[in-house]
Amino acid sequence: MSWFSKLKNAVHSKPLDNELADEMSDHLARRAAALREQGWSAADAQQEASRRFGNVTLLREQSREIRPSAILETTFQDLRYAWRGMLKSPAFALTAILSLALAVGANTAIYSIVDAALLRPLPVPEPGRLFILSNPPIEQPGGPAGTENEVFSYPLYQQFRSAAGDSARFALFSLANRIEVQMPDRNAPIEKAICGYVSGDAFDILKVPPALGRVFSSEEDRVPWGAPYLVISYDYWQRRFHGDPRVLGQRVQIGRHAYSIVGVARQGFFGVEPGKFVDIWMPAMMYSKASFANSGWNWFRIIGRLGPGVTLTSLHARLQPVFSAHEDEVVKSYPTMPPSIQKLFRAQPLHVRPGAIGASHFQSTFARPLWIVLGVAAGILLIACANVASLLLARATARSAEMAMRISLGAGRSRLIRQLLTESLLLSTIAGALGWAFARLSVPILVGALSTETDPVRFALSPGFFGADSRVLLFCAAVSTVAAVFFGLLPAWQSSGAQPMRELHGIRVASGRLRMGRLFVAIQVAFSFTLIIAGASFLFSLRNLLNVDTGFNPHNVSVIHISTDLSDITQKPELNVFQDELQRRAEALPGVQSAAISQGALFYGNYWSSQVILPGKPLPNREEPAMGVSPRYFYMMHIPLLAGREFEQRDRDYHHTGPPPTAVDDAPALEYFGNEDPDKGPRPTIVNQALARRYFGTDNAVGKMFQTPDGDKLMSHEIIGVVGNTSYGSLRDGPEPIMYGVVRGSSYVAMYVRSTLDLGSVVKMVERETESIGHGTRIREITTLDTLIGNTLLREKLLAGIGGVFAFLGLLLAAIGLFGLLNYSVTRRTKEIGIRAALGARPPALVFLVLKDMFSMIAAGLVTGLLGSLALMTAVRSLLFGIRPLDPLVMITAAAVFLTAALVAGGLPASRAASIDPMTALRHE
Amino acid sequence: MANSATNSPQTALDLLVLTVLGRRGPLHGYGIANAIEDLSDEALRIDEGSLYPALHRMEEAGWITASWTVTENKRRARIYQMTRAGKKQLAAESDRWTNFSAGVARVLRHA
Repeated sequence: MSWFSKLKNAVHSKPLDNELADEMSDHLARRAAALREQGWSAADAQQEASRRFGNVTLLREQSREIRPSAILETTFQDLRYAWRGMLKSPAFALTAILSLALAVGANTAIYSIVDAALLRPLPVPEPGRLFILSNPPIEQPGGPAGTENEVFSYPLYQQFRSAAGDSARFALFSLANRIEVQMPDRNAPIEKAICGYVSGDAFDILKVPPALGRVFSSEEDRVPWGAPYLVISYDYWQRRFHGDPRVLGQRVQIGRHAYSIVGVARQGFFGVEPGKFVDIWMPAMMYSKASFANSGWNWFRIIGRLGPGVTLTSLHARLQPVFSAHEDEVVKSYPTMPPSIQKLFRAQPLHVRPGAIGASHFQSTFARPLWIVLGVAAGILLIACANVASLLLARATARSAEMAMRISLGAGRSRLIRQLLTESLLLSTIAGALGWAFARLSVPILVGALSTETDPVRFALSPGFFGADSRVLLFCAAVSTVAAVFFGLLPAWQSSGAQPMRELHGIRVASGRLRMGRLFVAIQVAFSFTLIIAGASFLFSLRNLLNVDTGFNPHNVSVIHISTDLSDITQKPELNVFQDELQRRAEALPGVQSAAISQGALFYGNYWSSQVILPGKPLPNREEPAMGVSPRYFYMMHIPLLAGREFEQRDRDYHHTGPPPTAVDDAPALEYFGNEDPDKGPRPTIVNQALARRYFGTDNAVGKMFQTPDGDKLMSHEIIGVVGNTSYGSLRDGPEPIMYGVVRGSSYVAMYVRSTLDLGSVVKMVERETESIGHGTRIREITTLDTLIGNTLLREKLLAGIGGVFAFLGLLLAAIGLFGLLNYSVTRRTKEIGIRAALGARPPALVFLVLKDMFSMIAAGLVTGLLGSLALMTAVRSLLFGIRPLDPLVMITAAAVFLTAALVAGGLPASRAASIDPMTALRHE
Repeated sequence: MANSATNSPQTALDLLVLTVLGRRGPLHGYGIANAIEDLSDEALRIDEGSLYPALHRMEEAGWITASWTVTENKRRARIYQMTRAGKKQLAAESDRWTNFSAGVARVLRHA
């Protein structure tokens, strides 16, 4: 038989079936004829022929199964059958498909982010040979857990390189940042782009070729500020330059340098930070000149490629001594470091980790929440599966006569199971396709929820609706298939085991079915109760965080970042004047209550920190953050002044002799108060209540003195004021100590403007003022204090949002399942209930009967769910806030929500039971 | 592996069918069933129907081919015929079978 005819066979299933039937009936006819010749009667001959032959249907089935074409053919048949079955009961099909589609969609959506952010290797050849360097954080005693440090200094990189020799190559990647770029045309607007510095050999090491022009080479690694060239990403080339090949040689102004574009990197290469798409790569040599000799200036990740035969362990053996020596130097450069901390530094391990998936802030922030959410999504899938399984079970009851008929006609059990599983697969395939669509639509929304304006999150998700994202597609298909087997197998096994004689005689054998239905309901209850507790915990955590008393009034405050062309190094006095002028003008604006300036904005996460040294006391083993603020800052923030006074202009009257600020082009300057001029006496400093208590044991620390390390000298501070505690980095931290110095003129400042006017109007007014101030003064970033605080809660919002939605979904599915089973159980017990009613049971008693049934069904599930949620809550403890693992508020809320839903789900069947008319019920069967 | 396959009832049936087709030439299923009974003096009585899955399996394996013909009394019948692969299979299997049964016989004799 040719393949073509086999295929034809499969599509038109008649011939093979007919052939088998014909052949066997031919045999029977011949045998009967032969028997008649031996003298049997016609009827007896027929019967004897059949007896000798055996089970015709079963043999025919066996014969069919032998043919490979028949498998296909059977499948087509089953599919057609399943499709007809679905059309016959659309309500069942719709419920099953929708609940599965939601679950598959949720899983696929979360997985596509998990995959893009945490699993998929960088789009470069041999990503398995990449490594990344990092070291564990040195944590403050009692402070929050830090994240692994991944940034290193240029001198250390050079030492690593010479120590490694041929065994590995190292590429530098600075953290990608949003910066301003400008085309050189007259009046060209200022645009934002994501930019990162890379070493010249980085493209070669990662094996990323150019799509156009050239990429950087070691030539770009030679001279600081000697390589004013740019390589742009393929995506940026298409987006910004519409793929125009004349982009080569295009001049671009970034900061104070003019660059020219020399190439476009290969399509798909987005850098090494999953979650970010770099638009523009600049040579590392174009970074601040001072950084190349400063071993304390950590500004790039080191991602490298192992040489042939080199392992992570052998590379680590070469690099650890270099790193330990470096840490030793670090210790020596801090003469005031207490021995306990020195020991921590000297024991610092260097981690040489696999670098295939790159490294990003997104990964370190969202890895745990994403896995948790994926786990929760899996719970939803289980609930949906249990739901569909009990629907199938209910349907199997309706079809038991049909099954019994088929079994008595000789259909094998495996054949029936296969057919029932085909139905499940058809359901799950349709649901999978729907779920895929659902995921494709929801992923951009999810990613959007994780983005902020200053830190946009983007993934290499294939574009378009049916983008060929094979890994995610595979996941979706696998999840759907596994689901089909999960929800289809038990009901199929159950119903294919029908006992024909009893079924055909109308004897109900449904008790097994009800038992299995109870199992499914218990599963649903357990998972959905766990999800509700999880969702409630995350929601209450978010609420608790939002209710944290920040210590200041964050509402109605615009945060406006302003830069000027004045030099931070040579024009310090002018910058001081500029800054005062800026504040004065902002305060005078109509509708503005107050304005103030600080260096670096609150909740941006970066603070200078310093030991607080008290003469005659042991060196402290911790550092406290410090922040530069302008006069009237505390007044503007509504931070209570507990003792002493605020800063005044005269407090700033110190010479600035410190090192140049660490601001690079666009990064906000992080500069502490600057060095002390010994002639001017101690520096005026304001501390918060927590600092005063920790170091002086009193709120009234005004007039007290302390010192901070300053290179190899000590700087004296005099406390002129004590202010209330505030949150400044994270709402979770509680009242931590902080010290304030008066802010000095800087070319990049954050100005806070308190006004009941909206952000847009405030910005418009401030913009007019900056223009009239001159010196190229302009607005760089705008936001509000509320937004900044909100941005620190993205993780919590993700968990609360998705946790809430998933809890609701789970509850809905469980309620549907519960309703279905109770309804079925009432139908089955119609007669019993009728008898009870006839014997005088009142409707409330009948309602109680059904509800008692329900509670017995859900009790086991509730207990299991409670235990499950305990385990879950313990695992996610660090992501919760103000919630204990067995929080009574959470438990009571969850139980109330669940029981309400259960009562609604059980109420309908119960009221049906109450209204059963004894006469009708008894005539029912 | 080969041994367990050799000695299964399925292989025995295959061997019988191939032997019948080898001795008597092309035959339909009914004919094969009768031939097996005749040749074994009814010692081997198979469930007649179970012959068909075996025939179809051997057909898939390529040892026999089948075609529909109209027989002497104008009936449609499916006629089976041995292929070259079938002949090889028959030779190999009958050798193995002989060895096996001789082995069993030896054991029984000396037991």
